[in-house]
Amino acid sequence: MITIKVILIVLLLIILRAFLVQKSLLLIKRAVAVLMFAGLLFLVLFPDVSTWAANKIGVGRGADLLFYLANLFFLLVAVALWRRLITLSAAVTILARELAIRNAERPEAKEQSGPTND
Amino acid sequence: MAETSIWVVIPAYNEGRILAETIGGVLDYNRSYNVVIVDDGSTDDTSRAARKFAVHLLVHPMNLGQGAALATGIAYALREKADIVITFDADGQMQPADIGSLVDAVNKEGLDVALGSRFLTARPVGIPLIKKITLKIGAMLTRLRTGLRITDTHNGIRAFKADALRKFNISQNGMAHASEILSEIARNKLACREVPVTIRYTEYSKGKGQSVSNAINILFDLFSRGGK
Repeated sequence: MITIKVILIVLLLIILRAFLVQKSLLLIKRAVAVLMFAGLLFLVLFPDVSTWAANKIGVGRGADLLFYLANLFFLLVAVALWRRLITLSAAVTILARELAIRNAERPEAKEQSGPTND
Repeated sequence: MAETSIWVVIPAYNEGRILAETIGGVLDYNRSYNVVIVDDGSTDDTSRAARKFAVHLLVHPMNLGQGAALATGIAYALREKADIVITFDADGQMQPADIGSLVDAVNKEGLDVALGSRFLTARPVGIPLIKKITLKIGAMLTRLRTGLRITDTHNGIRAFKADALRKFNISQNGMAHASEILSEIARNKLACREVPVTIRYTEYSKGKGQSVSNAINILFDLFSRGGK
């Protein structure tokens, strides 16, 4: 039981660090991340708490409750990323369009007719 | 009155094999047309094929989709003070002579938009049955969605008066732009009519064109982004 706890704690800390090293991160986001990871660490150390909470709201096992919550969380992340992707691709389209129009190659005045020789 | 300036916008993605023939056909039909080729990030010699002609060439730095390419060509034509903008496919399915009928419809009947329809000709030629059914369903859905009575919703040959186009907002980069154009026509209450045109199903165009299964993708695009 101790081994898995050590593994989970180390992994959690590595992920948290990877998140926090971003320089341009709002303080509020840092705070939320630290709170979330603190919660996860707490659950790793005291797994019985999740079972207790699960029973309170009618779920059999703590692991199940965590599974449901994790699923919902990742769905939320997927939707947020999807929306961000749409915004980004719209911006890229506008940029590409402006670039294409600025670099437009106009027909040369001298040859107004069909294929020319290369 | 000054000569009407007519701009033909042709989006092209990896059409190097056929593009020269298409451009040649349009210019042979009417040399006064301004042709805009939008190379949508092709990986073949599409741009090189276009440079052999007296056309305007715009190149997307990456592949963005036919809707995006059309919107780029249209934006360019409008900035160049086009009076009438034609959309035309690169793959050789369309007849340059049909551009003339569409322009006439806009000019003489005071329409804002003339749309090509392959189903209005006396005897539509060589439309594969499954394609016909898919397009019929498309027409039905369009009528439910926009109230427009269109027989051919995914035909790429169209003529727009420039003033009408300025009201448009084409945000669909992919193939769903065809439905989006119809929504814009309905939303802006534009004067619009379908004009019979001929679509030739060559072996090349069948290979290049949209497969029928892509209809599902178009629906998905419309529903996932149509809300905006």
